[in-house]
Amino acid sequence: MSTVPAKRKPSDYKSELKPIWCPGCGDFGVLASLYRAFAELDLDPANTVVVSGIGCSSRLPGFVSTYGFHSLHGRPLPVAMGVKLANPDLNVIAVGGDGDGFAIGAGHFPHAARRNVDITYLVMDNEIYGLTKGQVSPTSLTDQKAPSTPWGNLETPLNTLAFAVASGASFVARGASFNTKALTELIVQAMEHKGFSYIDALSPCVMFNNHQEEWKELVTDVAPDHDVADKTAAFDLALKGGFKMGILYREQRATINEKYAALVEAAKDSDLETMLEAFNARKGAAIGKPTV
Amino acid sequence: MARKSVVIRLAGESGEGVISSGDILTQAAARGGYWTQTFRTYPAEIKGGPCMYQVRMGEERIYSHGKDVDLLVCFNQEAWDLHWDSLGPDGVILFDETAVDIPEEYAARARPVRMEKLAKEIGGSLRAKNMVAVGAVAGVISFNTTPIEELVLRRYAHKQGVADANIAALRAGGDESADLRGSLAITDPVEVEADRILMSGNQAIAVGAIAAGVKYFAGYPITPASDILEWLSAKLPQVGGITIQCEDEIASISSVLGASYAGVKSMTATSGPGLSLMTEMLGYAGTAEIPCVVIDAQRGGPSTGLPTKTEQSDLQHALYGGHGEAPRVVIAPITVEDCFWATIDAFNYSERYQVPVILLTDQGLATRMEVIHKPDTDLIELWDRRTSAGLDREYKRYELTEDSISPMGIPGEEGGQYVSTGIEHDELGHPAYTPENHVAMQTKRWAKLEPLKNGIVRHEHYGEEQPEIAIIGFGSTYGAVREAIDLARAEGASVGAFYPRVLGPFPGEQVTAFAAKARRVVVPEVNFTGQLARLVRGECGIPVESHAKCDGLPFTAEDVLDVIMERIPS
Repeated sequence: MSTVPAKRKPSDYKSELKPIWCPGCGDFGVLASLYRAFAELDLDPANTVVVSGIGCSSRLPGFVSTYGFHSLHGRPLPVAMGVKLANPDLNVIAVGGDGDGFAIGAGHFPHAARRNVDITYLVMDNEIYGLTKGQVSPTSLTDQKAPSTPWGNLETPLNTLAFAVASGASFVARGASFNTKALTELIVQAMEHKGFSYIDALSPCVMFNNHQEEWKELVTDVAPDHDVADKTAAFDLALKGGFKMGILYREQRATINEKYAALVEAAKDSDLETMLEAFNARKGAAIGKPTV
Repeated sequence: MARKSVVIRLAGESGEGVISSGDILTQAAARGGYWTQTFRTYPAEIKGGPCMYQVRMGEERIYSHGKDVDLLVCFNQEAWDLHWDSLGPDGVILFDETAVDIPEEYAARARPVRMEKLAKEIGGSLRAKNMVAVGAVAGVISFNTTPIEELVLRRYAHKQGVADANIAALRAGGDESADLRGSLAITDPVEVEADRILMSGNQAIAVGAIAAGVKYFAGYPITPASDILEWLSAKLPQVGGITIQCEDEIASISSVLGASYAGVKSMTATSGPGLSLMTEMLGYAGTAEIPCVVIDAQRGGPSTGLPTKTEQSDLQHALYGGHGEAPRVVIAPITVEDCFWATIDAFNYSERYQVPVILLTDQGLATRMEVIHKPDTDLIELWDRRTSAGLDREYKRYELTEDSISPMGIPGEEGGQYVSTGIEHDELGHPAYTPENHVAMQTKRWAKLEPLKNGIVRHEHYGEEQPEIAIIGFGSTYGAVREAIDLARAEGASVGAFYPRVLGPFPGEQVTAFAAKARRVVVPEVNFTGQLARLVRGECGIPVESHAKCDGLPFTAEDVLDVIMERIPS
């Protein structure tokens, strides 16, 4: 009689490092949701990579017992892309904060989205720079006073969900650290999604920007009859006031991983000797395109 | 008497066929059994602007592009104005009779060629102008046009009419220079091996990377490195790899590290401005001990500088650029052939020592075409990284081992799990900031590179081993220096050169030993501040004379010869 191996538990994904976050930090809820989602998906830790940038939230890979890549400010997406393209069999999730992802790393976001790299990107959005002690971030509210904006923030917050839809992300969702059940479910769906999935997770900073109670007032679920395939409807939800929770947009289209796999499969027909022979001075390269 | 080698310079407006004429001549020369080396300058404009293509060909191996021009071909007046003073004492000029006025005193050496007229009348299109020019050149140097005609037939295999028109233009060009036929005759190649290939430095690097087993390349277009990206885009999938054009250089190097972390050999290629952007991630690679190869095809700086001109001014940036002190290896190939082998070395060092390797070429070496020996692929030896597979002890990513190289876990591998980080970490990879730990980890990261200093790496020695005049150089200046040494030794000078392939870590002991008995040590390099000279002074503590120049052009053998002869002890 064969035995069915026991499914992994959320605690199986806990590393020996204790999170260094402040007591009450929203990121604990996100981490708990991640453990649960991994357990629900029963991910093989040896086949899973958590990539991050820099910041409080980006310390997360250290607290997860899988492979991890704690990269540099703003760089989780290209790193995650390299990992996934090098080995498409891996489960790859990139995590980070709003400053990491949408200030220094903003240049990478639309390209990961439009390429439809088959990874999940989970942003812990606290609308502030926590690790550097409270300066405004790209998602901070206008007029907010902070150490770097003593006269009030002059800028308009970036609407990351609208940005994600506009960039061509094939899965766009919002969750919150204070609703781990729903967030767990979103992470599961995002990781099951073939393509670039983006989750904005509201995750209050209790030290420098504690909006938890206001946010709880502002969140409402996406209506059950919302058509997730309707891009215009997704924009409408993203642009509305308050926070629409759930999946705003989802589409299935070929991932860059699939496209490259097909390209390599179709192109694979050569070797080093053949390539060198093409340069043979006696019979080789025809006049053609200049080489510069 | 026929010449052993000849220097042909074609000059005109970009888009007039200068480059394609040069390419045809180079390829035909290679097919005809000659050794060649080319040099070109081109404008930074997309269309228009002066460009020049110089082909040096001869029966013996060519190491530099040559100084005095034997045959100058002027497509327009500007070409004459810009290049007349490069003409050698016996030089001959061919010029388009409708476009160029040659001063009276050169008339005896100049031959008008009806380039435009014949192109239209016989070639059927102005585009055949380059074939008229090539035909005229072939006549003057007594070059058998059969290989050229073969190339034309090959190129226009499906357009017989165009092929015929081009061949007619070629022959008409030959007739135009009939009265100069053979005036710069080149000797026929004596012995022609079948195993010669013609490629550029960039191509040699791209093929070398494939030889080394690269499976992931990410890059962002930048002159003069772009054709590595372009070539690998076409070829890497054919051997099962991926090439991706990223949104910027930071994404390129970041994804290269991601791919390497995931277990495949990975590379990017850029020029100075791109290397600047990659610097932070290179520091990460050094600290997190992730192998990767970065090609820097240097161009003129500073800033966006001289995009289409050559310079060797990224040496210090490559060696030291970045915050903190993160280890890396810097390699400089010296010829097109060496670009192939040095790229394999770069991957080998990178994999064995789990360290980023920067390979420094420059515009001159990256874009020149050279006939080289086809690399003997049986000689290729590949090194792989040490992984956690089959480890019979507790896995520690940054384990302090005897040789300071630690096993690297590869995602997908059971038991190798760790978190890569640029934060100072302990043996397990956990953040750790104690003084003892930082010292231990810095020591480990630098100690593992010690073998690279002490003789396992290739270097090039030319001329006398203990010379009176010692030349120390790096990279693309090698060919000119080598030729200059031959010329100087023929005059009785005691001179020799030492070219380290690995510049970081610097082989100070070997360089010091080489220069031990020299009365003068000279360091020629193509930059303003004498970066290598300072490095040699600092690493070896010996007095050296810097001979640095930064005019955007490579050294000629004659330039170096002057430097040597000035220093001959009286």
